[in-house]
Formats: sequence, structure tokens, C-alpha cells
Amino acid sequence: MNTSELRPEWLYPASDSRHDEIIAGDGQLRPHWHYVLDSLHGLGDMAGRQQKALRILRDDGATYNIYGDSTGESATWNLDLVPNIIASEVWADAESGLLERSELFNLLLRDIYGERTLLKSGVIPPEALFCHRGFLRACHGIQLPGEQDLILHAVDLIRAPGGELMVLGDRTQSPSGAGYALENRTVMSRVFPSLFRDSNVHRLSAFFQRLRSKLLSLSPNRSHARAVLLTPGPHNETYFEHAYMANYLGFPLVQSDDLMVRNGFLWMKSLDGLKRVDVLFRRVDDWFCDPVELRADSRLGVAGLLEVVRAGNLVVANPLGSGILENPVFLRYMPEIARALLGRELRLPSVQTWWCAESQDKEYVLANLRDLVIKPVYRSPGSRSVRAGELDDAGLEQLKAEITANPMQYVAQPAMIASHLPALEADNSLAPRPSILRTYAVATGSSYSLMPGGLTRVGDSENSFVIASQAGARSKDTWIVDSEAERTLASEQAEEVTVMREAESVSLPSRVVENLFWMGRYADRAEATLRLLRTTFIQFSSESPASPAVKQYLLGTLQKMAALIPAEGLSADDQLDLWIENGTVSNSIASSLNAMLFCADQAKELLSSDTFRIINDIRDALRRLPQELSSSRWSAPEEVLDPLVTALMAFAGLTQESMNRSFGWRFMELGRRLERAQQINTAVGGLLVPVLNEPEQNRLAEALLLTMETLISYRRRYRGLMSVETSLDLILLDSSNPRSLMYQLDHLAEYLRALPHPARVLHELSEEERTLMQVEVLVKLTPLKDFCQPQETQRVQLAEAMERCFTLLAELSDQITDKYFDHREASHQLVRNSMEIL
Amino acid sequence: MRYRIKHITEYQYAGRVSHCYNMAHLMPRNSRRQQCLSSHIDILPGTTFNVRREDYYGNWAHHFEIHQPHKTLKIIATSDVETREQLSMMDLDLGATCSQAKEMMWSATDTETLLAREFLLDSPAVKTIDALRDYAAPFFSAEKTLLKAVLELTQAIFRDFKYSPESTTIATPVEDVLASREGVCQDFAHLQIGCLRALGYAAKYVSGYLETLPPPGQEKMVGADASHAWLSVYAPGEGWFEFDPTNNCMAGEQHIITAWGRDYFDVTPLCGVIFGGGEQPLLNVSVDVQRL
Repeated sequence: MNTSELRPEWLYPASDSRHDEIIAGDGQLRPHWHYVLDSLHGLGDMAGRQQKALRILRDDGATYNIYGDSTGESATWNLDLVPNIIASEVWADAESGLLERSELFNLLLRDIYGERTLLKSGVIPPEALFCHRGFLRACHGIQLPGEQDLILHAVDLIRAPGGELMVLGDRTQSPSGAGYALENRTVMSRVFPSLFRDSNVHRLSAFFQRLRSKLLSLSPNRSHARAVLLTPGPHNETYFEHAYMANYLGFPLVQSDDLMVRNGFLWMKSLDGLKRVDVLFRRVDDWFCDPVELRADSRLGVAGLLEVVRAGNLVVANPLGSGILENPVFLRYMPEIARALLGRELRLPSVQTWWCAESQDKEYVLANLRDLVIKPVYRSPGSRSVRAGELDDAGLEQLKAEITANPMQYVAQPAMIASHLPALEADNSLAPRPSILRTYAVATGSSYSLMPGGLTRVGDSENSFVIASQAGARSKDTWIVDSEAERTLASEQAEEVTVMREAESVSLPSRVVENLFWMGRYADRAEATLRLLRTTFIQFSSESPASPAVKQYLLGTLQKMAALIPAEGLSADDQLDLWIENGTVSNSIASSLNAMLFCADQAKELLSSDTFRIINDIRDALRRLPQELSSSRWSAPEEVLDPLVTALMAFAGLTQESMNRSFGWRFMELGRRLERAQQINTAVGGLLVPVLNEPEQNRLAEALLLTMETLISYRRRYRGLMSVETSLDLILLDSSNPRSLMYQLDHLAEYLRALPHPARVLHELSEEERTLMQVEVLVKLTPLKDFCQPQETQRVQLAEAMERCFTLLAELSDQITDKYFDHREASHQLVRNSMEIL
Repeated sequence: MRYRIKHITEYQYAGRVSHCYNMAHLMPRNSRRQQCLSSHIDILPGTTFNVRREDYYGNWAHHFEIHQPHKTLKIIATSDVETREQLSMMDLDLGATCSQAKEMMWSATDTETLLAREFLLDSPAVKTIDALRDYAAPFFSAEKTLLKAVLELTQAIFRDFKYSPESTTIATPVEDVLASREGVCQDFAHLQIGCLRALGYAAKYVSGYLETLPPPGQEKMVGADASHAWLSVYAPGEGWFEFDPTNNCMAGEQHIITAWGRDYFDVTPLCGVIFGGGEQPLLNVSVDVQRL
């Protein structure tokens, strides 16, 4: 016996009562754990690596939203660094059982929505189907082409205290977690590069390739297939995964409003018109997919979707109605179902399940309540499993009453603690935690193939019964390891897949493009406000303070740009103090930035992970801003703004450097340039229009140039000589200055020309181009000296020109919106029949 | 009896509807005692897409999309139907007793009975509550035949409840109808279905029309008829039997079936989603049942 295979003294002791994944019954470390555990221990600095993992997850935007969390903020995905290690011999055994189960569930699904032989021949009681809300009568008779209806099947697997692997439940309508498993893997391979390499871990990518080609092969449109991923939107708990999977699979990520049904087909609204969709990979639950036939009050689906499916013009995966397979009542009859459909019993058993609709079952459940977990047959938000043993007497009585009143709606399973895995605790020690593994099978050819690995989750205490992400469980990467290298499982070999030609260009939904446009606008608006604020701070607190008039104009411009509300009868200094103190300033900045962050979230799949790091920086700086602003009011408050300005500059730079020059990028730039042009109008109107004495005039001109980041080039060009005329030249007309108005207009014109247009016969300009040209003419055809000409207290021509430009640019924005973006009209139910919400 | 039914539904919207998706249950189905000879639906404005299919319950579901902006939607369903009485010479004193029927409901293994068990369970509009069971139980003594008991319940509802179109909406729960003792045909059908299910008998909702005859000497007015609703109860081994609590009778030749389901929401005459249209559309329905 190799002494190192004895349990190392730093590991927790074995427990007699429960099964442990790493310590065998004789108290020794199981052999396949030995290498990894030893290496982890040898590496040390687990805290540092945990930090690193957290940072990577955060930079990738990997979040998981907990419903009912009042902060409303997304929590970063929780990854425990000790992987779940499964020896490939053990896995091969589980694999055959799991594949068999997927085949059975496929047959079950087809029977339920087809012949219903199980029901008619008495294998399952009719109520098993009829009492479950996942049974969609509207889907009766719908079948997918090919042999499989169930495309993606997830199974929650546990090892019982006796050491036996068992199925706790199935996820079939839109199984979640596969994307998180992939993200876990990505992080682990970065945090432990050499350990990962040396451990002969089976790779995950082939699984996703199979999923992708399976989905495309389902397309009813033989010549080219377009698949999209339907998400409920950023508020969904697993939105990160939706965006991540869409990206990985190369499918556009769409929401309800991006799609519409027309003439019996499903279409995506894109910039260059409607694009036919052939395959809908959905992450929206069954009931929410079609407000005409399913839940009438749903805003997450597409009206008329089911009819498109029935007509054979669209494949939805998993098919609508597949939620019925999640009914735990089937676990109760699994041996009979398997005998009827497969001709044999399943190799992999399910956890014993009692259904209270059967009178003997009910008697048993009521008599042994304390040893059981009671589950509702239909999973819905708010419903949850109850461990009866944890209830007090009153709670127990209430549970009994509920079961007795509605026995069909409850199943029971033994309360058992799943086998333990070591989890890394805050103090760097390892603690035993009950674990559950979610596996994924995808339909391929005439059978299924399994992801070599899956999503492992561990409970938060040694004895937790419920292990769910919603309950705050941590996740682990799952390693299927070989004792020697270079042995690959069948499921890992990259097979020849006949990939059908995909639809030519992957177009973007117009919603995404609209969000990019507004992301550009808000980013620039926030930046302009921050810059002017910084200038204002400097002017107010410099060694030779500005005159009251200068302060007043600065404040007036700031007020206009940041949409602030002044209090009456305050001096400029007091006003600025008040705005800082009561949070007005930080709120204004926050509102632009939050709007920008919201748009970024909506366009998540188009932004690089570097971008997310910067977005996180912006979030952090934003959170600190109010506190820092008020505490630094008396000393260099402008410096507090620097981190935000820097982050925004980095954001702008990254989008320049790392985004494809697609339509999406162009719209973002259109938004940015348009916003900047308008900010120039506002700033010039506020700071150069008033006629003041020379020192004051120069002071304002300097403030403007500083805000525009052009003070240095101005000084280089004109020495110390300040004048309104030369300032205007640099800010309005000099197209070599990237912050000048003319530079914005030139680029707007360029981007507008490059947008998709209907084929034009005539040579006339588009409406947007005409509007833009009016702005250009207005600025270019007025001699600078006319702009500078004072009339009493104002430069009237300049004031009028700036206002007119501002208005024209606003019109331009509307014209772009009208032409390219989707106008959502509110939809109503014709008849209010939301009574389906049982 | 042969009938021609013209069912016109008209929605007038406050604002423009840009497009809409609808599903209609307006074409009469076939049944043991009814055959639909012809049926078609005209829609204004013209539709772009229009499909008819058989739904889960064997009813006709008609789907259509309109992508033409409109402020008025008009649907005209015209159908010719031949109906018969349920069973000639039916004697309600023969057949299974209540206790036999109840026992067979759970013990019989024939497909029809197994599938009928779907109609024992709660459905969106019908929740079985103790009050319903208490109301109906006295009529269902163990040795009485089931159908006789159902007829007595039908008579009781007719006697105890007031027909009052203003008192309820389609969303009024059966519980409230039981308490207020008033309602319309849907309410009475739902109520009796709830009573039967609470006692352990399968019952389904039937929607359709009833031919009304003008007072003697007067001519019948066009459009004076209305949609109607009643119910059907399952007697194991015998089949389904239709009762009409609103009119205190078993359904006969004059009862023309459009569709059946667990309750109203399985067979809503017209449902769907509209885009635009503003608030509160005006709805106008006219039904005309003519003998051929």
C-alpha cells in the first residue's frame, strides 16, 4: 500500500454515516482523487486563486440572479475551486445509464403527445398526466422531424448514503446550467493551468458542437438554416448563460420583441428587414411561449408561435410541452414505464418516490412525514420542496392538511443527504458538503450523447438537503479523468457532422442595435457631464477663483448639460455645494451611466469580456462616487471624477479596438457622435455666447477648451492668445480635431452612408442625410466673425445657430430611430382569459 | 333537424390595430348526435393567413393573422348542421346507480373511461369546493340512477338560480355564483360541472347554440338568438349525456354543439392578441339560428 493514499492529515475525517466521494469506507483516499488533491494542497495560496477565479467570473459577466433579492443586483456566479473528480471507469457506467434514460424520456414524450398508449393501457394513471400543469393540451399531436423530440435532457444525479447513484429529477423544457458548466471549466483551466493539463480531463467542447449541429439539422428549411436563442431577457436568473451560449453556439440572442409571426412563419426583425427563423432554441418556459394559445398575459413569447410549429415551419427545442417530463410522478412509475416502452427496467434507478394520489402512498407519506421531503408535482416560482422533519408541530399539521386536501399535487422522497465532496471554506480548509451533479445529454444521430462532466453543486452545510442555485449553492467544475492520458471516450471524439449551410449573414435583431445606439449616446453624455463638472470644480477652487459671472455661466451650462434643477437665491458656490451634498450631481451621472449599463446588458453578447472588466470598473466607481464626492468637497473634488472618466475613455477605446465594424458598431458610433455634437452645441451656447469683459471671456473660453480636451492643442497653435474667434474655429470647424463639431458631422455622414438602404433608383439624399447636411451648411456658411459679433450681452447668431443645430440633431436621432428600430406597440389580449394561472 | 347558423362577431377598437393573431372556436363539431354539413368563416379585413385544425378535444380551431391596419374586426361564421335527439326513448330510471357509476369511474379500464377521468379534475374556471358538494349531494343517493340524479340537480339549479345577464362576467368564480344564486348559462354550466366533479363524476362543458322559437303568431327576428352553454356528464359504460340547467332539460335537437372542453376557457369563441387598438373595444355579437 502506497502510504500517500492514506487520508492526508489536513483533510477532514471520514464519517461512518454518509458516503463520501473522496474517502473510502476504510478511511483512505480514493485513488483518482489522490493526484489532484495533493497538487491542490501543494499549490497553496488557495485564497489568492479563489480571488482570481472570482475576478475572471466577474470580468466575464458571469452572474446568477436570485429572485426576491431586494438589492436587484446580479450576484457573481459562485464557483468552488475544488473540482468534482470522477474516474472515467465510473463515469462510463453512469453514462450508459444516463443515455438509456434519455432514450426512454424521448419515447415517453412522444407517447404523451402522440398515442398515449401508456395511459390507455393503464401503465400510468390518467391523473399523472391530467393533473400536471406541464401537460400542454395545445401541443397534442406535434412532433419533431427525426426520431427524437427531446433534444437536450438534463438529469440531477446524486449518490445515496449507501453509495448508489440515483436520479433525483429531470430537467426537460429548457435545461439550464450547461453554459455555467462551460464557464466553470474556462475559469478552472485558467486558474490551474498545469494541474488541469496534467489531469487528463475530458473536454466539453465536442458536446456543444453536437448541440449546435443537432439544432441546425432540425431546420425545416433545407437550403439554409437560421437558429436563434430565445431568452426572457436580462432579468432572468440565468441571463448570463443565455448570452454565453448564444455566443458559443453562434446564434443570435433574441427576446420576445425581436420576433414576429407572419404568414405562418417566424421572423426576426433585423436591420435589413425580416429574417426567417427556422430553429428556436428557447430558454423561455413552456407556458410563456405563445400568448394566443398558452398563457395569455405572457410578454416573453411570440403570438402565434404554436401555429408556426404545427405548420412545420419552425422547430422549437426543446419542443413546447416537454415540461411534462419534469413531473416527479413519473419517477413513481418509472420501472413500469421503462418495461412498457423499452422492454426492460432502467439500469440507473430513480430516488424512491411516493405519489399521494395513490392511497397506499398517501398513507405511507402521512405516517412517515418526518423522514420525507415533500415536493409539489409542478415546479413554479414560489413552490418549493419541504423537509417535513424540520417543521414544528403546527407546520406539520398544516402540511398534512394540504396533502390531504390535494393529494395529487404532492410527491414525497426520502430525506437523505447526498454523498459528500470537499468544498473550500473561507478559512482555506476543506469541509465535507453534500453534492449533486447535473448531467446533460444531447440528441445525436439516433441516440444521445453525454457531456463528459456537468454542473456539480454543493450544499452550504454538512447536512443540507436542498442544493439549488436559488438557495445559494456553490458550483464546481466536474472532471472526468483518465488514469492515463490519451484515452478518449466515444462521446469526446469529434465526429463527422454534416453541418447544413447556415443563413448567409448572421444579422442582428434591431433591438440589439438600438441598444448599442443608446449605449453610445449615454456613454458620451456621461463623459461630457463628467468633463464639464471637472472643469467647474477646477474653476471654482483654483488659486485665482473665477468671478461670480464666470461661475454663474459655468453652472448654467452644467445645469443644462446634466439636467439639474437649481435652487433659488443661492450663490454659485452654495449651489454647487448643495448639488454635491444632496447627491444631485452623482445622481445625474449615475442615471446616464446606469442607462448605459442597461443597454450594454441588452447587447451583452456583442461585447468582449475585456469590456465587461471595464463595465465592472464603472460600476465600482459609480458605487463609490456619492461618498467620495461629498467627503472631498474641500480638497480637489475633481480628482474623484478621474476614475470614471478614465474608465469611460477605456470603454470608448475598447469598442474602437475590439468590436467588429458591423452595423452594431456603426450604430454605437452614430449614437456617440450625435450625442457629442449636441454636447458641443450646449457647451458653446453656454460658454461662448455671453459677452463679457476680456479676462472673464478668456476664462470661459479656457474652461470650454479644457472641457473639450483641446486646451493644449489650442495653446500650441495660438500661444497664450485667447480669443472667441480662434476658440470657435478649433471647436466648431477644425475637422482634424476629434472633439470638434465638424469631426462629428463628417463621421455621422460616413456612418449614415454605410447603413443598409433600400435600393434607390433616384439620386436624392435620404431624409437623415438631408438633416445632417442642414447642420453642416448652417455651421459652414456662417463666417466666424458673424458668429463672434456681439449684440449687447449676447452673440446672437452663434446662440441661434447652436440651438438650431441641437434641434436638427435631435430630429436626426428620431429619423434614425423611426427608420431602423422597431416600434413596439403595446399588445392586448382580445379576451381576458388569464384564468389559466391556476 | 337541419339548421343554418350565422354567428357574427364584431370588434370596434378605439384606436388602430396594426396586426393581430386570433384563434376561434366558431365552427360546429361533429358528435354522436350531430353532423356539420358545411362551415366557413369570413373575416374582415381580409386575412393574410388562415388555418383550420382539429384541437385536442376534437373541436375545430380556426387560426388567423391580420397584418392590415384596421379599426373594425368582423368575423362571420356560417354553418349548416344536422342534429338529432340524444337517444330515442331514453329511460333515466335504467342504468348504473350513483354508487356503481362512482366505483366504475375508478375501476374500469376501458379507454373511454380512462380518458374521461380528465374531466374529473379541477380546470381553470371550475374549482371543486366543499360548498358545491354540499349543494348537490342530497340528489345523489347511492341507489338512484346517476342520470336521474343529474337531471334532478339540473332541475334544482334551474329552480334555485335566477337568470340575470348583468350579475356576472366570464371571470366570476363558481363559488360566487353559488353564493349569489344568479348568473347566465356559462355560470350554470360551470356550477353543475363543479357539483358533479366534487361528487366524483366526470363532466365537460359544451358550448353552442339553442334554437329559440318566436312567440306564437310573431315572426322570428334575425340575430335574436345567442350563444349557449350546457354540460355533458359521463356515465361509465354508457357514455356522455348532455344536460341544460339554464332551460331545465336534457339537451335535444335544438341544442347545436360548437365545441366542448373542460370549461369555457378551452373553447373560448374568440381569443387572441392584438397590437394597438387603444382601450376598451366595443364588442357586438349576433347569432341567427334558422331551420332549413
